[in-house]
Amino acid sequence: MLSIDNVSKSFMGVRALRGVSFVGAADEILGLIGPNGAGKSTLVNAISGVLKPDSGSIRLGDVDLTGRGPEFAARQGVGRTFQNLRLFPSLTVRQNVEVGLITCRRHRPEVARSIDIDALLDRFGLAADAGRPAGTLPYGQQRRLELARAEALGAKLLLLDEPAAGMNDYETAALADQLRAIRRRSRCALLVIDHDLHFIMSVCDRICVLDMGEVVAIGTPELIRANPKVAEIYLGAAEAAPHQKNIREERQWN
Amino acid sequence: MSVTTQTRSAQKTLAPWMRSLVGGLVTALPVILIGIVILLFAPAYLVRVAFAAYVNLLIVLGLQIFMGNSMVANLGQGAFVGIGAYSVAILATPVAMKKLSIPDAPFGLADIVLHPALAAGAGLGITGLIAALTGLVIARLSGEAATIVTFSLMMVVHSIFIQWTDLFKGAQAFFGIPQVVGLATAIGAATLATIIARLFKDSASGLHLRASAESLLAARAFGVDVFRLRLLAWILGAVICASGGILYAFFMGTINARAFHFELVMTTLAMLILGGMRTVSGAVFGCIALALLLEAIRSVESGIAVAGFQLPPLLGLSGLAMGAIIVLGMTFRPRGIFVRLELDELLWRLFARRQPRAITEGKPI
Ligand SMILES: Nc1ncnc2c1ncn2[C@@H]1O[C@H](COP(=O)(O)OP(=O)(O)OP(=O)(O)O)[C@@H](O)[C@H]1O
Ligand SMILES: [Mg+2]
Repeated sequence: MLSIDNVSKSFMGVRALRGVSFVGAADEILGLIGPNGAGKSTLVNAISGVLKPDSGSIRLGDVDLTGRGPEFAARQGVGRTFQNLRLFPSLTVRQNVEVGLITCRRHRPEVARSIDIDALLDRFGLAADAGRPAGTLPYGQQRRLELARAEALGAKLLLLDEPAAGMNDYETAALADQLRAIRRRSRCALLVIDHDLHFIMSVCDRICVLDMGEVVAIGTPELIRANPKVAEIYLGAAEAAPHQKNIREERQWN
Repeated sequence: MSVTTQTRSAQKTLAPWMRSLVGGLVTALPVILIGIVILLFAPAYLVRVAFAAYVNLLIVLGLQIFMGNSMVANLGQGAFVGIGAYSVAILATPVAMKKLSIPDAPFGLADIVLHPALAAGAGLGITGLIAALTGLVIARLSGEAATIVTFSLMMVVHSIFIQWTDLFKGAQAFFGIPQVVGLATAIGAATLATIIARLFKDSASGLHLRASAESLLAARAFGVDVFRLRLLAWILGAVICASGGILYAFFMGTINARAFHFELVMTTLAMLILGGMRTVSGAVFGCIALALLLEAIRSVESGIAVAGFQLPPLLGLSGLAMGAIIVLGMTFRPRGIFVRLELDELLWRLFARRQPRAITEGKPI
């Protein structure tokens, strides 16, 4: 169970998160939506330990993750993907996945025992390319590899930052199936950021809407769809810039 | 399709560490074979040349373990070679000899003598300890900072050798070290180091460290303990460099601090870059190639006879040639000869591709 309590984070005056609080269930798929710059990636970075929040606390089950760094979060079973792909390009596909599994083996061996790399690669359609350097894969496969690598961590919580970016409708539908399958297999929670509302509505149990660093609404897809504030903020913004989905900001986190 | 499945199933029959061990042995094969040929047939002067090359190989392998896996620069390997060499010089040289050379040595070191094997063990231990201490700083660095700090480390150690004359004899040669090893020992050590480097590279720790070199942020987000692994590689690499220094001292009988300075660092670095620092095969073949080349150039340098005519000596040619090799290598093959795959992995691919396709391809016969 993920609990975010009053988390704030500023970047040189820009208040990216302002007292964000919510609780996620242990096996739910929670969507995180909001216009560009709402603070979605910042929240994911704070949960995965890549960024240290200025205040507030982040807990997974009864473990406090706040400010303990990305290594600690990963060892507790927080897996993630990156908005801008961050694979290990000259390691092979298989080795990329092994990096996650090794961490799981060292820190939660009982979980690692149930992870079979060959089966995992097969499920993500990567088995035939297991020996190739990850950097030579086409973009779509690199995205899938990021997911596979995160699952191989034996994750209790998966943070997916725009997993459907750059995908066509067919691929997005396949991704939705994949996410449900991951949840079924590893009984983990997923926090999914995306700008594709259809995708988010179809795959998520609940959705959290972020705007200007604040939680505007949280609830089932039906409730969110019916919420006038959300329509104003989110859909308004989407209408203003309908192709924003394809504009991926190239920002460095470190 | 058929090729990949076949490759995978065939490779699966060996446990991963066994595959690494076999791979290490394949890579070390030329090291062993060249060594045996020299042992059996070569004149004494060539044995000396070869010994120096094997010591260089140990240093290049030590360098590969840290640099090749972490991709953090290291220009300080000379320090650990020197520490290894001086440790055994001070500990294993007979007391009678030390009364002449370092009578005022501190801690009563002039009055004790250790069996060479014990001295070697102590030398490795001392190096490990110093590496662990310096590593606490160096494992946190990367980029220019690592270049500068590792280089400074060597400068500091070098000036200690030069200034602390009571212990290290300063700029003078330290003589009288028991000459207890021969080429065979160096061949054995280089083979062992090749295998260790390969096992480390392919180990879980090695893979995690290599991941950190590819994307530091992603590696950390996947639980890689970058600091601890860099420290581990730094210590292991230093100890292997020191083993080179120890063998060198026990072979030559006389050492001088100059031997562990710029020239050594540049030569071994050039070997690693030429071969490809990400692979153990790169370290091995870069060393072999450059050692052969430098030796050929040295013989030209000292003046050779061509078709009955004695050519005049061309002094400074080897330095010039090494510079040229580094420049050319970096220009045309910036990542070296063995960029990503090891020798055995390349051979395996070649072999797998040759397999008849018809048997496994699709349709039933
Ligand atoms: N490392 C950083 N340094 C400075 N400012 C940052 C940094 N990361 C994010 N910001 C700022 O914080 C705010 C929130 O950014 P964030 O990336 O979390 O938004 P987002 O909701 O993920 O947007 P998008 O949909 O475009 O990915 C933005 O104003 C952004 O410019
Ligand atoms: Mg974002």
